[in-house]
Amino acid sequence: MGEAAPPAGMTGIVQSDIDLDVVRSILQRFQPRDHQEAQELILGALQEVNEHFGYVSLEAAEVVAEHLGTTATRVYALLTFYADFRTEPRGKHFMLLCHGMSCFVGGSQRLVQELKDRWGIEDGETTADGELTVQVVNGCLGVCDRAPYCVLDGHSVGELTVESLNETLQRVIAAGGSWKDGHHG
Amino acid sequence: MESRLNSRADFEAFRARARERWNDLWEGDRMVASVGLDSSATPKGADKVLSACKAVAYDTGMIVREVSGNGATWMEPWVEVKRPGQPPIVYGPIDPDEVPALLAGRLESRAIGVRGDTAFGTIPPLSEIPFFKPQQRIVLQNAGIIDPGSIEDAIGRGAYDAYFKVLFEMSQEEAIAEVTTANVRGRGGAGFPAGIKWESGRKAKVTPKFVVCNSHEGEPNVYKDRRILESDPHRVLEGILIACISVGAERGYNYIGGEHPVAIARFRKAVADAERLGLIGRNVLGSGKDVFFRVRTGGGAYICGEGSALMYSIMGVRGMPRTKPPRSVEEGIWRRPTVANNTETMANIPSIILNGGAWYASIGTEKSKGTKLMTVQGPMQTPGLVEVPMGTTLRTLMEECWGGMKPGFTFKGIQTGGVSAGPLKEEHFDLPVDFDSLTEYGGMLGSGGFVVFDSTICAVDFARYLTAFNRVESCSKCVPCHRGNPALVEIVDRIRLGRGSMEDLALIERTSKHVIELSLCGLGQVAPMPLLGMMKQFPEEFRAHILDGVCPAGACPIDRRPARAAAAD
Ligand SMILES: Cc1cc2nc3c(=O)[nH]c(=O)nc-3n(C[C@H](O)[C@H](O)[C@H](O)COP(=O)(O)O)c2cc1C
Ligand code: SF4
Ligand code: FES
Repeated sequence: MGEAAPPAGMTGIVQSDIDLDVVRSILQRFQPRDHQEAQELILGALQEVNEHFGYVSLEAAEVVAEHLGTTATRVYALLTFYADFRTEPRGKHFMLLCHGMSCFVGGSQRLVQELKDRWGIEDGETTADGELTVQVVNGCLGVCDRAPYCVLDGHSVGELTVESLNETLQRVIAAGGSWKDGHHG
Repeated sequence: MESRLNSRADFEAFRARARERWNDLWEGDRMVASVGLDSSATPKGADKVLSACKAVAYDTGMIVREVSGNGATWMEPWVEVKRPGQPPIVYGPIDPDEVPALLAGRLESRAIGVRGDTAFGTIPPLSEIPFFKPQQRIVLQNAGIIDPGSIEDAIGRGAYDAYFKVLFEMSQEEAIAEVTTANVRGRGGAGFPAGIKWESGRKAKVTPKFVVCNSHEGEPNVYKDRRILESDPHRVLEGILIACISVGAERGYNYIGGEHPVAIARFRKAVADAERLGLIGRNVLGSGKDVFFRVRTGGGAYICGEGSALMYSIMGVRGMPRTKPPRSVEEGIWRRPTVANNTETMANIPSIILNGGAWYASIGTEKSKGTKLMTVQGPMQTPGLVEVPMGTTLRTLMEECWGGMKPGFTFKGIQTGGVSAGPLKEEHFDLPVDFDSLTEYGGMLGSGGFVVFDSTICAVDFARYLTAFNRVESCSKCVPCHRGNPALVEIVDRIRLGRGSMEDLALIERTSKHVIELSLCGLGQVAPMPLLGMMKQFPEEFRAHILDGVCPAGACPIDRRPARAAAAD
């Protein structure tokens, strides 16, 4: 695929740090017996790659496409439709902020606003200093009695307020480390 | 590890051993501690409570079991302790460092109830405490009791008995007849009778056929399906396998939302164990019947819960609904006849087959049979997942199961039907909760997720949130939904910011009519309902924003002089 122009919308992607050999080893677990099954496995394979690296790069998408006998365009159509996928690297820290109804009733709207006003990020974005990426989850993360609730670097944080959100983020960022440490993928 | 079971006799022998093992566990003279772990309890430290129990067990020889949650999220993390000669008693909430005291019998004040029918001293049976008393558990009968990772536990408690019956003792028609007599209506929201769908599936001529279970659960207001999978995955799997045999499908699928990793892991393990035992595969238990199984996972797009979108997602393309007909039961996955049912629907099937459709139809109301899983969100005293007979009143749920409002919160309304219907108020508390009774008042049973909101929540702001959800989750395939929902959000935003006019309310009605009548799928067709419902139940609040420039709940960022004041100048 080396010479082919990337599909529309895929240009300008930052240089990927994804080790394609790791992608290939993940794909070893996806061995379709026929073309239909190959198509059924695309999403699952992308999910594994996304989980492992925090995003799926253009090159990784091409490797998945090749392994499952499809095109990078088709893979990219999936990456841009399903909310869980990212096409750019995560910041050092990664937060899943629940915006389900329990969390809304508990005040998650104020948290979303605070992230925008104070941290300069909205759903799917990363702070300018590369420290924090937030993904706002529209569904329910399932710990409703601790609303508003988030998962930060794999750790649960509940009963959030604007103040505790800021404190938690500052503490986690000051402590260093990254989302990969809390990752149980 | 047991090896593959190749015949009826093999299964019966395995089942006999599993039952004996289960009974021995409770009749033995060793202490047993069971810790409830699931996607709700583990974030609260149940995993650490489990480790603490294991540390004690290391010295004492006590048996430590990992079970799932029991729906009562308010008592998490909880531990069930069975001492020799005593019934099992549930304690909670328990901190990890309290475990030694608990197990030494020095934390009796934390006892909640006895798992069983009779009190033990002053400790009542769980079934008598308000959260459990109105409940009747069919789907959740094993929740918090079995280890969801143990097929032996499940079989010891009756799993695959119904499957066995369908494999060897019933015809396809007889099995479907029980489901039809039960009149179990789909638990995914629409309430379509499962028996009728299965019969169409059975009659479909094209092969191969498929069965798919919808465990997507991407709605923001409900957490029941993941908890069924987390607590009793074999029950769901058995339901799907029964559907496969009954309609003649060669393969079953479960499509599970990617946000539910615990449910995915436990269900995958259940499938792997069932395959290992030969309950899935070629010539199941020597019956001559083949059934295969695949687990697929979603990627955070709410629309993929819609039947046709779900099937596209399984086929590895964008999950965008298509027009019907053809219905999925004629043309579904890989354009083959596909029977689709919700997780809870599937989980009811084993009990229906075992006890008969007539038994099931004796529970519930005239038109809504059986039980319903209900979840609550919002500031309630004892929130959680319950299973009550259809027709239980809203009041029973609110005041008994969920214990009323938390101190300091004033009830305002209860949003029903998630993002697809409107709210109800206190005057509706005596309505029976079933498929049909709430609709007349602008509410809806939907998937059974109720959201209680208090006086600090503004009806206009909440309506904006609900409409914005549908705007973001619209797949953008058809114009009325793709363009109409942003337009609705824009109008509500005007009102929220205090810049609306009374004409905007009429504009909402007109725009909603277009979206409802012209949208292609169920998302667009009901997307304006929450907004319309909020306008219907809280008209004075909309007027206050428009005419007085105030948000009575104090939630909206009003930024202009009120129209009335301006007019008075
Ligand atoms: C936008 C949308 C989202 C839906 N999401 C779900 C879902 O998450 N789970 C589900 O079981 N049904 C969902 N449904 C309903 C399904 O389309 C379908 O009616 C149901 O899965 C059939 O199973 P049942 O008859 O057992 O309810 C959704 C429908 C729409 C329109
Ligand atoms: S109604 Fe909305 S979600 Fe449904 S097909 Fe149209 S755009 Fe997609
Ligand atoms: S709504 Fe946020 S955890 Fe359930």
